[in-house]
Amino acid sequence: MGSVTSSRSAALFGARDAVGAAGVAMAATFLAFGAAVREAGLPPGWALVACWAIYGMPGQLVLVQAASTGFVSGIAPAVMGAIAVNARFLPMAIAITPLFGVTERKRLIPAIPFIAVTPWAAAMRAFPEIASSVRLSWFLGFGLTSWVVAGLAALAGFYVAGMLDDHARAALLFVNPLYYALLLAADVNKPAPRRAILCGAAAAGLTFILPSSMGLLAAGIIGGTIAFLWGRKRGSR
Amino acid sequence: MEAADIALALTALACLLLRSAGVWLAGGLGADHPVIAWATAIAQATLAAFVMLAIIAPTGALADVPLAARLFGLGVGVAVCLAFGRNLLPALLAGLIAMLVLRSLIPS
Repeated sequence: MGSVTSSRSAALFGARDAVGAAGVAMAATFLAFGAAVREAGLPPGWALVACWAIYGMPGQLVLVQAASTGFVSGIAPAVMGAIAVNARFLPMAIAITPLFGVTERKRLIPAIPFIAVTPWAAAMRAFPEIASSVRLSWFLGFGLTSWVVAGLAALAGFYVAGMLDDHARAALLFVNPLYYALLLAADVNKPAPRRAILCGAAAAGLTFILPSSMGLLAAGIIGGTIAFLWGRKRGSR
Repeated sequence: MEAADIALALTALACLLLRSAGVWLAGGLGADHPVIAWATAIAQATLAAFVMLAIIAPTGALADVPLAARLFGLGVGVAVCLAFGRNLLPALLAGLIAMLVLRSLIPS
């Protein structure tokens, strides 16, 4: 990949990478999401817009759950909950921006909608092998392909919802955390990610004592900060 | 406009602002800046916490799968990933199959 220097080739490599394990995980998760949207009584267009405009599964699910109850607690709590569980977009955007090697911020505008867990984690894994001059092209190729896969899978899930029993849905829902676990495991030989994984996993227990919408965010901030300080103390990243 | 549409529009706007704010904040920083390392650690820790919760204490249909089957699937997937050059697709399929096999063997 380091030999890829043209933007077009890098975008094609990104698109190809997006239909591997990432595509399988993405399709499985969004298939289950599409089925949940239908069960909540929402239209297929809503599922598609949610996939493409939010592009963050935990937040999407918070809205679907609220919709299935008719927003009995109001719109504002549902929106606040969805934002809180997707607040990881902020540190992810901060972390990935310098890696693009782009000095003009406005050149990154097309990449902004694609900053989500799957493209972000795949990029953090792939970027060391990609020349910095074409990383943005790779990311756009990956992100756009993932977007299309997610949208089509959600629509498919919407229309096959009646055919998915609990066993099938459970299998689909298992694929997503398994994929993220594999992405993390692939980085476990590097000290900084290993510390963050350990601290984040340990901090996950906070979600049992905090409100569910804030628990994941708190676990990430506290676990990540401890991992960062641990690394600073050891004098390495 | 329906309540679901309003909620979707507000959430989408907020997510766009979060992403844009991150790009704007990091725009002047180098990859080695401590803020970048801190943000990276938070993002990775959040992902690790998400995985831990989704496996240990899931909600919805996955909660009906026995914990042992979830852990077995995770263990097999990670083991295949580490043993076979961190190739994610075979590891993903191996983990999923392992979870399904053990689930079928455990009486419900």
